[in-house]
Parts: sequence; structure tokens; C-alpha cells
Amino acid sequence: MENSDSIANNKIINDLLPQKFGKAGKIWTGVLVAICLFGLYAYYRQLRYGLIVTSMRDYVSWGIYISNFVFFVAISLVGSLITAVFRLAGVHWSTPLTRIAEMIAVAAIIFASLIIIVDMGSPERFYNLFIHGRLQSPIIWDVIVITTYFFISILLLYFPLLPDIKILLTFKERSGPRLNKFYGYIGSFWKGLPEQYKLGDKAINILCITIIPVAFTIHTVTSWLFATTYRPGWDSTNFGAYFIAGAFLVGAGSVVVAMYVFRKAYHLEKYITEDHFEKMGRILVMLAMLYLYFNINEFLTPFFKMKESEAAYLNGLFTGDFSVVFWFAILTGMIVPTIILLFKKGRKPLPVMIAGIMVVIGAWFKRYLIVTPTLLHPFLPMHDVPASYRHYFPSWEEWAITFGSLAGVMLVITILARIFPIIPIQETITEQHEIAE
Amino acid sequence: MEQENNSRRDFLVTGLVAAAASVVAGCAPKSNVFEAAADEQVMPSGKKVKLLSVDGEVIEVDAAFLKPVPHMPPVSNSEARIGIPGKKFVMVIDLSRCKNLKKCQAACNHAHDLNPGENWIKVDPMKNSEHSAPYWEPTTCMHCDDPPCVKVCPVDATFKRQDGIVLIDSDRCIGCRFCMAACPYSTRVFNWGAPQISEEVAAQPYSCETSIPQKKGTVGKCDFCADMSRMGELPHCVSACPNGVYAFGDLNEDSVTNGAETFRFSDLIRDKAGYRLMEDLGTKPSVYYLPPVNRNFPFESGLETDSLQNPKN
Amino acid sequence: MKSLNNIKTAVLSIAILFSGYHGFSQGATKGDLSVALSYFSVNNQVPYITAKVKTKIDGRFQPVAGISLKLFLDKDSTGTFIGKVTTNENGEASTTIPVSVKKEWTTSTKHIFLATFNGNKKYYAAKGDLTISQAKILIDAGSDKKITASVLELKNGTWVPVNAVDVKIGVKRLGSDLPVGDKPTVTTDSTGTAAADFKRDSIPGDAKGNITLVARVEDNDTYGNLVIEKTVPWGAKFIPLSNFNERSLYGTRYKTPIWLLVAAYSILIAVWGILITLVVSVFKIKKLGETQA
Repeated sequence: MENSDSIANNKIINDLLPQKFGKAGKIWTGVLVAICLFGLYAYYRQLRYGLIVTSMRDYVSWGIYISNFVFFVAISLVGSLITAVFRLAGVHWSTPLTRIAEMIAVAAIIFASLIIIVDMGSPERFYNLFIHGRLQSPIIWDVIVITTYFFISILLLYFPLLPDIKILLTFKERSGPRLNKFYGYIGSFWKGLPEQYKLGDKAINILCITIIPVAFTIHTVTSWLFATTYRPGWDSTNFGAYFIAGAFLVGAGSVVVAMYVFRKAYHLEKYITEDHFEKMGRILVMLAMLYLYFNINEFLTPFFKMKESEAAYLNGLFTGDFSVVFWFAILTGMIVPTIILLFKKGRKPLPVMIAGIMVVIGAWFKRYLIVTPTLLHPFLPMHDVPASYRHYFPSWEEWAITFGSLAGVMLVITILARIFPIIPIQETITEQHEIAE
Repeated sequence: MEQENNSRRDFLVTGLVAAAASVVAGCAPKSNVFEAAADEQVMPSGKKVKLLSVDGEVIEVDAAFLKPVPHMPPVSNSEARIGIPGKKFVMVIDLSRCKNLKKCQAACNHAHDLNPGENWIKVDPMKNSEHSAPYWEPTTCMHCDDPPCVKVCPVDATFKRQDGIVLIDSDRCIGCRFCMAACPYSTRVFNWGAPQISEEVAAQPYSCETSIPQKKGTVGKCDFCADMSRMGELPHCVSACPNGVYAFGDLNEDSVTNGAETFRFSDLIRDKAGYRLMEDLGTKPSVYYLPPVNRNFPFESGLETDSLQNPKN
Repeated sequence: MKSLNNIKTAVLSIAILFSGYHGFSQGATKGDLSVALSYFSVNNQVPYITAKVKTKIDGRFQPVAGISLKLFLDKDSTGTFIGKVTTNENGEASTTIPVSVKKEWTTSTKHIFLATFNGNKKYYAAKGDLTISQAKILIDAGSDKKITASVLELKNGTWVPVNAVDVKIGVKRLGSDLPVGDKPTVTTDSTGTAAADFKRDSIPGDAKGNITLVARVEDNDTYGNLVIEKTVPWGAKFIPLSNFNERSLYGTRYKTPIWLLVAAYSILIAVWGILITLVVSVFKIKKLGETQA
């Protein structure tokens, strides 16, 4: 019995230890690095010439950078969903997905904070936020809450990682000396003692409880950056809940995509099973319908009233300049995934992944629609300004930086997956034992 | 016969501009409140200068009061942030007098060394509904008493002063543009690139009161010409308008003037049914509008000027 | 007047010479300047002269800065030199009247102020003059809220009343005077007085209710600008109320509302307190592991 156990354990460990990049992995990483570097070049141009290199002007003073910021904040919410909510609810099947979710959360929150600096006109004065910070400003709330959430996400990634570090260190031959040194630095003290487990489990529980309100706050505060203004489309009391619902959806969508990719790339079919896709599919459909509900709530009531100040904005979305993007985002981001996932066959890995991609793409355009159309419909007419101020299409620098940041998120996830086990090894072993008993 | 040293006299009288006010304040014990603002900067030097009076008598005046105003030490950042005590600046824009000449805009752009294409004052053609009549509506910063822009600023770069003026510290602004999103009057502009201003202007230390020089990556907007008010003069838009559209004054004195005419503010607002823009938002603007009734000019007279900046697409 | 004309000719010819020379060397066109002088006497104290220099650019008069003007009293000679001034960015320059010209000032009651500009690379020489008769203005405020202003002219050593001069009587306000009544201007009668009734009841004054009345003769062809002020307790007592120092959402970082401070700091302390204990537990785990080893 002992023997077969250790054989099974060794099999799990062998399957789940981080693997060196293969050819595909190297190409993938190389492409991501190249996109990031191009984004960096665009940012260098922006630093040198100012935000004039973007297409943002006085009316559309926030563009796809802010859309992207909201998008990243939204995605980062997934760490708390998969890990904290499921764990507190006593759901065990989600164990293999927790680390993926946490890695996505950390990567997204890093780039959320970077993109907000990119959006600043005078980033060299970033320190003013700390020496002159004003607690009345929702931006300061955002700075505080993003910092907090980043720190919690790191801790939530770190604590469950400790037992795996021990395993990583016992299989030193699998990693290079530098990685081993890093592992040793961050977790050589983990001996798997019962007292250590007790402290660790307690810490994870506390984190899971703490991260939920903080995650809600980060997304609510982000929605308040808009909802604290008077602008049509932003002046909404629904905004916090609307953003959180959207964030859960896009987060879950990104997790199913990542699940599918990791499953294929690292041959994890035994650990991330069809059942996982089935279950995540159900969650996704629920979240898509929830977000659809909030969208109806957000648009139907103003449409019904058609207030003068909002009429042009709403017509622009429903039938005007933005209607194509608007209906695309609604259909792709919510309705079509819902239809796919409602069917049992639609909850197989591939269709779930496709639905996930649709959700993520739809969500990105949704964020674009949250920012730009409102700014193009100010209360007073757009007048006495150059013609370029009256419309907005991002410049190549903006696209480069945006794609650079998207690539950056994927690169961070890729690197984290290279360094750490994608699926918690120790927890998987423990759960296998529990099932066996 | 008094013989004075000519060279010294030259020094004294050189460019003694609006100092006229200070001269008077120096000799006359009673100086009005407005001059008092200027006087606060001037400390008696103890050095007396002899001058001739109307009667031909010789009067001794402290040399400090003869200092020309432009050489007055510029107000410090902390003073500029507090504002002039006891004042509450207010503007009245009479829509019945506006024919979109845009002299206000040109004067403003010139006085603040604005980037070409950038306007702090905009004159919008307004038509509130299908059957209502169009009119020209100049907009400045409303200098709200409950300013949404100031509320959201993360670093105190834009601030509300005790005299009601909302200003920007371009040395502090981080360029997040939250204030632009927050302002329902779309009054704020951003320096997207390096401003096209002369090196001489760009080299000046930034002053919140003059808003000069504009800086790359920071927000700018109408400053109610806080520097002019400090000197007792009217904002540039007010003095530039040939039709007397703008009137400026101190609410605490219950008076506004367009340079040629002076009105009791409360009477003017009562008699002409003055109002503020978007009162329902609760921003409490400091700019009042008089409705476009009994107009001096037809709306169409402003169309030609308008087409220069707003070509039909 | 003759000598004046001579000087004019001389200056002109010099100017032409100069312009011709520069015209050859630079080929640039020079501008014409107009010099306008104004005379001010405030509270009958120290009179001063203001010069305003303009040039026509694209059909519009624009102020010219940095123009040096020499000002003379009555005649263009060193003994009557008033001073040298340079215009500022508004094209304006001012000067008081120095003691050195006391003799000229007191010998006549009618004076000519002369301003000359010698020309430079950009502008031709120019000059301006202004003739002024010495006058003064007085103001009196009766208990019945009637204000009278008198204009007096110096003639043969005595001050005599002046008829038919427009006087503006107002309350001193920001940047201008608010007329005390319905009519902005009143005209002096044969006794040199102009009267106006104060109809600005309850106009805000200072903390004691004091307001400053102003009587003003503006741009008069003969007398220039004469101003006199008088403080009367006719205004409403006014103490400005300001919520500037109150805590508010638009206040500075030092004026954050208490509720916000309490809410924000309690949340911050709670959350970061938890996070710090978690970091501490990392070290506890570390210690456990190390002692075991």
C-alpha cells in the first residue's frame, strides 16, 4: 500500500512539476516578448512627445488605456472567485484551477497598475500621489485598494505554494541552480510540520475571507471613477454591481481559456478534466446571464426615459456610431456564450474555451464602450476645437501599448507557470488520498 | 528751487504703470479694499521721495509705494492657493449681447499664451429644442462653489480658493485627467504635447494665478484672471468684449462691471432673470447667465466667425 | 509754439534720416507709433501722467512695449524734463511730476505735457502732447444721503467753480464705480457743483458698513482725469462668510471630512492589520521550520 502510494505520488509530481519551455513555448514567449518590446517602444515615444501621440483629445480624454485598465482590474477579480469563494463554500473540485486563477490575478493587477501610469500625462510625478495624496479623490482610493489587492494576491499565491516548494526542492535536478536558489530563498523553511500546516491553513482561510471584500472594493472603486461624475452613461448607481458582475464573468472566461491552453500544452488532461470544463461552463453561463441582467438593468431604464442629456449617448449605442460594437459586445460577450453553454455538448472543453474567448473579447469591447461613447457625448456641444477632437480612434501607439500590456499579462502568466506548478501538487496528492480513503 | 538728481528720478519713474493706484494709496490714508490687496505686498521702505502736488507743493512719498506693480514680487504658491480674503468673484454673461465675435477668446488665448487651437473660452451655438431659438453661449470655467473637478483631484493640483476661484497648479498636476471627466461643462483642456510657446515664456516659473506657462502633460483652464483681480483689473475677456457681454465683479460688493457699465449684481440678476448653467447638478457655479432676450444682434451675425473654427464637415 | 515746431521739424528730419539709413541696411518696414497722454489727479494729491503707445498692426491698434519716452513740461528742454519712462506690455507708462519742474508748474495754470520718442530700429520717431488746465475736485456727502461734487479751476491764483463738466459719482467697487443713482453722470452747474442722490441702500460695505464714494471727471478735454474719494457709513455692515476652511469633499488634503478619514483609516488599519499578521505568520512558519532543522 505504502509503495503504490508513493508510485502514484511520484506520477503526480512528475506530471505537475514545472517544465522547461519546448519549441512552442519558446516561440510563444518570444512572440510575447517582442510584442511587449514594441509596446515599450511606443511608450518611449509617448514619454518623449507626450500624450499627443495618442488619439485622445480634450473630449475623449480617456481612451483605450483606461478601457484596458478596467479590463485588467476585472480579470484580476478571478483570483478571489475561484480560490476564495469556492474554498469558503467547501468546493473541492476547483483545487486544480486555483493556481491558474491566482496567477492570472497577479499578472492582471500588475498590468492594471502599469497601464494607469501609462495613461498619466506626467508619469514622472507619480510620487505626488503619495506626498500630496488627497483622500477625497476616488483615484487615491483606487491606488490604495490596488496596492492592497496586489499584496493579498501575492500572499494568496504564496501560502498555498509553500508545500509545493518543498516538493520542488526535493526534485532539484528538474530545475536549474538559479531557480533552486530562488525556491530555497522563498520556501526552504517549509518542512511540512503539522504546526506549519496549521498556521498555513489558517492564513489561507483568513486571506480567503479578506480578499472577497477587497476584490469587491477594487472593482467598485474602479466603477466609481466613472460613477462619481455627472456624465451620461456613467452617472449610475448600478455601476458598482454592474462592474463586479462583468468582472466575475471575464475572470471566469479567462480562466477557462487558460485551463484549456495549459491542459493542452502540458498534457494535464488527468488533472483538468472534462468535468472541470463542465462545471466551469455552468458557472460561466450563470455569470453571463447575471451580467446580461445588469446590462439590461443599466440600459433599459435610461432608454425608457430617454432624458435629453442621455438621448444622444443612448442612441449612439443602440443605433448610432457605436451600435456595431455595442451589439457585438452584448452578443459575443453574453448572449452567444450563454447559448453555447446552456447545452451539455457546449460544456465540452473546446466549446467552453471558445465561449471563454468570446467572453473575454466581448468584455474588452464592453470596457471600450463604457469609456469612449460617454466622453463623446458631453453636456455642452463639442465646439471651438480642432476637428480631430470630435471623434476617437486609437493611434498605433495606443494599440501597441495596449497589445503590449495584454502580451505582458500573458508573459507574466507564462513565466509564473514556468517557475511554479500550474496545479498545486501537494493539494492534489492530499485530495487523491482523501478520495482513496 | 529744489534740485533733484536726474538719474535717480529716472529710476523712480520708470514704467510706473498701474502703480498709480499704489501712489495714491501711499499718500492718501484711505485706500479702498481693492488697492489694499495690492498694498499688502508693499512695505514702506523708509526712503522718502519728493513729488509735486496739484497745488505745486512738495509732498514726500515713501519710495516703496512708487514701485511699479509689474515688479511686485509674484505671489507665492501658498498665497495663490489661498486667494484674496473677503472676495467672492462672480461673472455675469449677457447672452442677449453676444454675436460670437470671439474677441474674448482671442484676448484670453493671447493673455495666457495658450497653445494654438486650444481655447479656454468657447462660444457654443445653442438651440435647446426644435422650436426654440438659437443663441451664442460663451463658456468659461464656472468656478463652481461645489467644484466636481476639485473633488476628484488626487493630488490637490486643482483647488478652490477662498475668493471662489478654482485654479490649477501645473507643477503639481500628474495628468490623470479625472478632473476633465468630472467637469460637466467640459471646460478643461489638456496639454497633450509640449505647448508651442516661446522659450522665454516656457522658462518662466509657473504661476497658478497667471496659469503661465502651460506645461506638457498637465490640465489647463480659465483662471478668472486671478492675477488681474489681484491688481484690481478686469479679466481679459471682460475688457476685450466690445459688446459688454461679460461683467465681472465681487459678489461681496454686490457689483459687476463690463468696463463701461457697472451694475448692482443683485438688481441685474433680478431684473434680467439671471441663471446658472446646469443648476440641477448642484455644482453652484460662480458664472451667471442673462437669457438671450431683446437681443442686440441676430444669431446669424455670428455664423461667419464661427465657421472659421468650426468648418462644416 | 514756434520753438516747438522747430523741434518737431528737427526730430522729424532726424527720424527720416534714421529711417532712411535703416531702410537701406535692413530693408525692413518701420512702424508708426501713436503716443497718447493722459493726466490724472487723485484726491488732489500727487498728479501723474500716463502715456499709452500703440501701433497699427493689420488694421488694429496694438500696444507696444519697451518704448522709451521722454516727458517734458510745457517746453522741450532740459530744465523742464519730467522723466524718462518705458512702456510695459500693455504699452503703458506713468510718471509723477518731479520737484525740479516746480517753477514751471506753479507759474502757469495751463500746461502742456510733451512726450517724445526718438525712434528705433522698428519704429519711427513719434511724439504726443496733452494740454491740461489745473483743476481739482471736491466731494461732500450730506446726512440726507445727497452727494455733491464740485469742480474748481485754478485761475489767477484762486480756485473758481467750473460749469458744465460731467462728473461720475459712484460707490467704489471692484474694477469700477457703481453709480449711486440711476444716472451714471451728473453735470456741474454755475456754482461748479453736481449733485446725486444715494440710492444704493443696503449695498454691502466693510465690517462697519463703510463704503467709499468716488467722484470722477473722466478724460475731460481741459482738465484730464480728476478723482476724489470719501468714505461714508452708508453701506450695510458686511462680514464675508467663507466655508473655505471647512472640511469638505472639495477641500484640500488637510481638510478631508472627518467621516471619510474615520471610514478610510479604519478600513485601512483593519485590512493591513490582517495582512501584517499574515506576513508575521510567514515568519512564524519559517521559525518553526528552522528550529526543526
